[in-house]
Amino acid sequence: MKPLLEAKGLRHLYGGRCVLRVDELALGRGEVVALLGPNGAGKSTLLRLLSLMDRPSNGKIFFEGKPAFPFSPVSRRLALLPQEPYLLKRSVFENVAYGLKVRGIREGLKSRVFEALSWVGLSPTEFASRPWHALSGGEAQRVALAARLVFRPEVLLLDEPTASVDPQSAKLIREAILRARDSWGATLLIATHDWAWVGEFAQRWLYLFRGEIFEEAPPILIFGPFRKEETFWVKEFSDGKRLFLSPPREPGAEVALLSGEKVSLARGGVGENVLDFQVLSVIFKKASGEVLVSLRREDLSLTFTLPSGLSCPRPGERLWLKLPREVKRWFSL
Amino acid sequence: MGYLSEGIIKAFDLLLTGDPETFSAIWVTLKVTTCSMAASLLLGIPLGFGLGFFEFPGRRFLRTLVDTLLALPTVLIGLLVYALLSQRGPLGHLGLLFTPEAIAIGQTILALPIVVALVATAVEGLERRLRLTVLSLGANRSQLFLTTLFEARFGILTAAVTAYGRVLTEVGISLMVGGNIKWYTRTITTAIALETSKGEFALGMALGLVLLLIAFLVNFTLSYLRRYR
Repeated sequence: MKPLLEAKGLRHLYGGRCVLRVDELALGRGEVVALLGPNGAGKSTLLRLLSLMDRPSNGKIFFEGKPAFPFSPVSRRLALLPQEPYLLKRSVFENVAYGLKVRGIREGLKSRVFEALSWVGLSPTEFASRPWHALSGGEAQRVALAARLVFRPEVLLLDEPTASVDPQSAKLIREAILRARDSWGATLLIATHDWAWVGEFAQRWLYLFRGEIFEEAPPILIFGPFRKEETFWVKEFSDGKRLFLSPPREPGAEVALLSGEKVSLARGGVGENVLDFQVLSVIFKKASGEVLVSLRREDLSLTFTLPSGLSCPRPGERLWLKLPREVKRWFSL
Repeated sequence: MGYLSEGIIKAFDLLLTGDPETFSAIWVTLKVTTCSMAASLLLGIPLGFGLGFFEFPGRRFLRTLVDTLLALPTVLIGLLVYALLSQRGPLGHLGLLFTPEAIAIGQTILALPIVVALVATAVEGLERRLRLTVLSLGANRSQLFLTTLFEARFGILTAAVTAYGRVLTEVGISLMVGGNIKWYTRTITTAIALETSKGEFALGMALGLVLLLIAFLVNFTLSYLRRYR
């Protein structure tokens, strides 16, 4: 499938610090992609660059194979729903109509605005004339979403759309964005912390950490202190268990990043780097049928994709995993 | 205290019977302040917007300068405009001294820093999310500019109302460059000053009441606007 939106050689700097490093990313038409990662990983920055709101320090964004820039005509074919969106100091109707008006669309304005409001589960007759300040958090978020859906963007980028809304609003948001995908083939890229919510419908999962994308599996972070030997570093747990890691080459390293895909299930409790973890939660990826298990051992948290055919562990149970010795990258804090 | 209550009664009498001298002062005041407000808004809104919206070198210094000008005493402005417009001044040939135009010029100088400073504050105070929101909805550069101005409308109205309150109640400029000429440049405030010094409380009181009424309307509008900021 020919990609609709692509990023190549993307680098973005804030105050001289590189906050985003994406060599290659391609989104197909109608694809539903989840973007996961801790706060400060660069999710919002990536969404702003991909939605052509900001220009990257280096690298290019391509739309339908052609380079695309902020304020260019193609930028109007994408829409970003920023985190905590702002409503203009106007009525709900005017907020939703804004995107059509700036595009010079006057025909069928009212019916299109009403339609968009109904998509997000807001009764047009009840809400259209409401002022911006007479809405709850979840309603405001849905008005903001309707304001994007109304001009039928081909790519819809959502920045933590369910961060401050109740489950009912989260459900309505999901239905509305999936309708956009189904009725005009919109591509969806959703940055979120809500793994369970996005697990219901995302087809592809991207994990962002420190400005880098990991697609296969969420990366694992190991924080110190480490006992430093010549040929290996050791993280020692309070129960005496140890995790051996290949040492960094550069000085100043404090956090180790391991590839998630190199982690495997262990049968028993013996062997190098075999550790028992407590199951915290289980997330079901509906599209692929995979099960993600969120695990913890003291200060070490990780998410592991359960091999198919295994019965699903329950929260509170123990699971033995073999971690790699190989460190993908060392970071300073 | 008798003369005070007498004054109030006579004040209503002057107002209700449409005393020409009283209404001349009211008319001059409204005319002059309308002109000075129009000029200061026309200049002050773009300047204030630029100061609040754009980042440029020297911006902080300009902000401080404008804030300092907020404290400009009216007698100093009066002196300045007098010096400019007097026969020997650089603009003396225009023959504007002791005309309503001269008062309007002085009041524009008085109102301008207020408009600039408050509009800049209003634009600065807009949420940082506004720019991203408007752009993400597909606005181009000029639409971004107009929407930002529109979003700051309550702040801009507040600036206008505050500046109006200031020019309405000033005496120094009107007295110095207007000359307090009856039927011509006598405003509400200069009339009060004169009538009081003559011991004519009734006319002063009547004009004071009108001033209070206008001030009340202005402040009522202001408090109404503040509710929606």
